Amino acid sequence: MRGFNRIVCCLAYILELLVLFTLQETPGLLPAIYGARPVLLLPAVVTIAMLQRERSAMAFGVAGGLLCDFGLSGLLGFHALVMGVVCFFISILVQTAMQVNLLTAVLTGVWAIGLMVFLQWLFLYYFAYSHPVYALTHHYLPKYLYTLLFVPLAYLLNRGLTQAIAPQES
Amino acid sequence: MVRDFLRSSSFKVLLITVVVLLGLILYTLSAGGSFLASLLGFASSPMQSVTATVTEDVTEFLDLDGLSRDELKQLVDSLLDSNAQLHQQLVDYENIRQENAQLKEQLNITEQRSENQLVAASVIGRDPNDVFYGFSIDKGTLNGVSTGDPVITSRGLVGVVSHAYATTSLVSCLLSEDVSVAAVCVERQESGAVTGSVTLSATGMIRMLYLSGDTQVQPGDVVVTSGAGAAYPKDILIGEVERVEKSENDISHYAVIRPSEDLTDIRDVFVIVDFPGKGEEGAQVDVGTDAQGQEDTE
Repeated sequence: MRGFNRIVCCLAYILELLVLFTLQETPGLLPAIYGARPVLLLPAVVTIAMLQRERSAMAFGVAGGLLCDFGLSGLLGFHALVMGVVCFFISILVQTAMQVNLLTAVLTGVWAIGLMVFLQWLFLYYFAYSHPVYALTHHYLPKYLYTLLFVPLAYLLNRGLTQAIAPQES
Repeated sequence: MVRDFLRSSSFKVLLITVVVLLGLILYTLSAGGSFLASLLGFASSPMQSVTATVTEDVTEFLDLDGLSRDELKQLVDSLLDSNAQLHQQLVDYENIRQENAQLKEQLNITEQRSENQLVAASVIGRDPNDVFYGFSIDKGTLNGVSTGDPVITSRGLVGVVSHAYATTSLVSCLLSEDVSVAAVCVERQESGAVTGSVTLSATGMIRMLYLSGDTQVQPGDVVVTSGAGAAYPKDILIGEVERVEKSENDISHYAVIRPSEDLTDIRDVFVIVDFPGKGEEGAQVDVGTDAQGQEDTE
């Protein structure tokens, strides 16, 4: 039963990632603020990582990252690598030194999503295009702040999902 | 504790994952499109198509519903005026066309020019991570789309296919610094390269670079593709000159252009999968190569 619940939980998370990917990509669905739109997959994988063991956390991070890579460009692997590694260490951190609640989820979202967005800017923009500081302040920063708004929602959604599907594990 | 962690099986799995993903990055860097990307396209494109269509319908409904009676009347009036003007232009066009045909016949000019081959597509995704408003469409290599194909709407050029997968494609729009199009100002016959800039992308504007120091280009002039480099068909409308400014780096000038289409809000497009002269002049059909072709012609 426990194994069955794990499979259902995994499928639910994968479906959640696919749905969030579709929502974040849909033109005109989420309103742009200062030209920026939120990356829903980032809060989703961060909060999933807080509720899973490190290997599962990394796997969901990689899955979400591959979707991000697919949506942005043909360069598959960058987001998968960054999000996979960050999610791995979030899970380790939660298991060793942190409680899981709404406050810690938000705090984790602040540094983890900040790190991911900064690495995005550094590797995908800074070395390739002009006016990197302008892009950081006018595109990446608004996108980061907008994305942070979805961390509490993602945490509540994933915590509810975990408790509903796999009560034994929680 | 750190030593235990470094010896744990989880850490080994992490290392293996990192190596595999680095390999994937190198592979996609060298090979371009990949099987994995096509697979992701198969999984996500049906959902994206449905949500994009529903969102578009709802948005259109809400937009129309939000207009007052006076606003609607004003809109109809302006469209009727515009229609009357276009009819007059059509009459002029027909006269000129007939005159042109007669002159060609008198001068024995024969022209065997085939039409552009178009594939209609819908915009199904716009990634929030893309600074330059790129988008994905619901047609891919199975529909004849390939990397480097120009993308247009009924109003003019909007971009170029940057990655073509089996059922979907990614389009870099004119706002991107990756895209560079050989262009010419119709009124002045001055040529340059049209490209985007992050400082202009938020306002939906693009730039025409490499205009000479004594350029005659003025606000209101129309800019179209020149066809140089054979990456884009000739005479596709790009936009209208908004202002002319001096370049930051050299003595040349550049024109800020308002694109004929709102590049941040495109719903339906056509991909030009074939056009007369495509790939001729030895030009590579790839994103960003056309500007070099333009520079060469100058």
